[in-house]
Amino acid sequence: MTLLLRLPVVVLLTLVFVNSALASRIEISSPGQQAIPLALNRILPITSAHPEIAAEFDRVLEYDLEFSGLFRFIDPASFMRDAGSLGLQRSDVDFPQWRILGSELLIKGGYQLNGEQLTVDMRLYDVTSQRLLTGRRYVGQRGDVRKIAHTFADQVLEQLTGESGPFATKIAYISEQTGNKELYLMDVDGHGAVRLTDHRSIVLNPDFSPTRKELIFTSYKQENPDLFRKEVYTGQESRLSFQQGLNISGRYSPDGRQIALTLSKDGNAELYLIGTNGTLLRRLTNHYAIDVDPSWSPDGNRIAFVSDRLGNPHIFIVDIHSREVKRLTYDGRYNATPAWNPKSDRIVFSRLEDSIFNLFTINPDGSDERQITFGGGNKEHPRWSPDGRFLVYSLDDGRGKSLWMMRADGSGARRIAAAGDRASHPAWSGRW
Amino acid sequence: MKFLSVVRFLVIGFAFAVLTVGCAKQPVVEETPVPAQPTQVVVEQPVRAVQETPITDTSVAMTAEEAAAEARRAAAAGLQRIHFDFDRSDLTEEAKQILVNNAGLLRAAPQVNVLIEGHTDERGSDEYNLALGERRAISARNFLVSLGVGADRLRIISYGEEMPIALERNEEAWAKNRRAEFKISR
Repeated sequence: MTLLLRLPVVVLLTLVFVNSALASRIEISSPGQQAIPLALNRILPITSAHPEIAAEFDRVLEYDLEFSGLFRFIDPASFMRDAGSLGLQRSDVDFPQWRILGSELLIKGGYQLNGEQLTVDMRLYDVTSQRLLTGRRYVGQRGDVRKIAHTFADQVLEQLTGESGPFATKIAYISEQTGNKELYLMDVDGHGAVRLTDHRSIVLNPDFSPTRKELIFTSYKQENPDLFRKEVYTGQESRLSFQQGLNISGRYSPDGRQIALTLSKDGNAELYLIGTNGTLLRRLTNHYAIDVDPSWSPDGNRIAFVSDRLGNPHIFIVDIHSREVKRLTYDGRYNATPAWNPKSDRIVFSRLEDSIFNLFTINPDGSDERQITFGGGNKEHPRWSPDGRFLVYSLDDGRGKSLWMMRADGSGARRIAAAGDRASHPAWSGRW
Repeated sequence: MKFLSVVRFLVIGFAFAVLTVGCAKQPVVEETPVPAQPTQVVVEQPVRAVQETPITDTSVAMTAEEAAAEARRAAAAGLQRIHFDFDRSDLTEEAKQILVNNAGLLRAAPQVNVLIEGHTDERGSDEYNLALGERRAISARNFLVSLGVGADRLRIISYGEEMPIALERNEEAWAKNRRAEFKISR
């Protein structure tokens, strides 16, 4: 827990305000097709060398940038003399050396360690126009090296696309490491996992507050599936909704002021809205069918959910003001776990076909349905990154459940190995 | 053996109680005047001596607490789980027969409260399965209530797919896991 309680001491200094000529130039909807040639130089020691720190920084930054799908990396073996030069100023950089390699972008940086204090100085250059796109100096502790690398990766994406990357955020998930299902929190790449609950019961289905560093989840701690709330850094925990029967699949509204969830207090699973203090605000559905798995539209006016009101489980959308319900999916006999992209009108869900759950995306009006995962193993519980460009989900390959990430179009899938073999129910935090 | 006879005793007692209550509810026959009859002369007869000897029962009668404890043990040992078809919460004929038996045990042990747990197999969404498990528990509860078990004695909880009893991944294991269980609570 000490790891969590120690707030990251990362100081951001914007060195230069630059115009964003490249900003909004890149859409990441189909990342592979417009990869920008990038020369990613390793960071150089400003004073004494600490190869293990530099190597970790380089590894994390490259992993993030590669995952973004935005770049085609220039082979470092072809780098020339300027790659070994610490000159970070625009006037110090030998741009023709980088240009001849075909790179359009260049990342250079340096670091120094004074005692436990780590300083990292990073620059992103437009090679063609020889302009500084972004320059950042990060000051933190030695142990913050990964966080600094993630933060700079986010900054690179923000500079190039106008939308920050999600790499310095957190993923919450459920793991059975202890023998019981408990709530865990980790970095997006699986590093630094910590267990948050000790309920020794069954903990399920977490969701992050979009505005505060807190989570809601369902737990059987008090012998009923109740909704709990937990503040991540203070560890403070309370029971938020404990109606008789189900208090499950809680989801914060985009403004963080309401929670949609399923209650069965009246004898049947229905969607309700409650306040963040647990007070019942209103009932959203009224049908003898099962209504579960709410997911908010980015504007907070509509909620996608799962219902078997027409026989098999399908995805529906309810307008929270008029309570009008529209059917979204028609294909497949079992559709579940919808998640509405926080930045665009796209809904991801899992569908059972040929005895396997795969992930699909669809527009909220039902058009342009696409399958984005293929092959063996059940893929379920997809959740979007806060920038809407990536997905995290669970894969059950018959031996156990593991967590995976991929881009919004299904490309670049990779396992978050550090989360282990018995991990499920991921949720992606907002800005952290 | 002993508990079987107790159960039989209780069941008979229950049936008798039902009959007695039934008799009491018979409509009262209207009284009609009896016609006057000539007085008959009864010929006096010698009094026959009737032999009377006290019978002592050496076996100790069961106290109410002991009977209750026996019924509780009988229920604990005898309540059986029921199974469901995929994505269904309605009761199969087999499930109904088991519930008839469970209801008998519960009527015989009126002080026993039961937690009905609804479970599903692992297929499908976790949240949907939590709701499906609850529906199964409710189906079982409603049927027991229709058989005369007090609704206030039956609490339900759904565990969805969280507590499988068979861990294999085949139709046989899934069928075992789609179930409702009956646990005696305090």
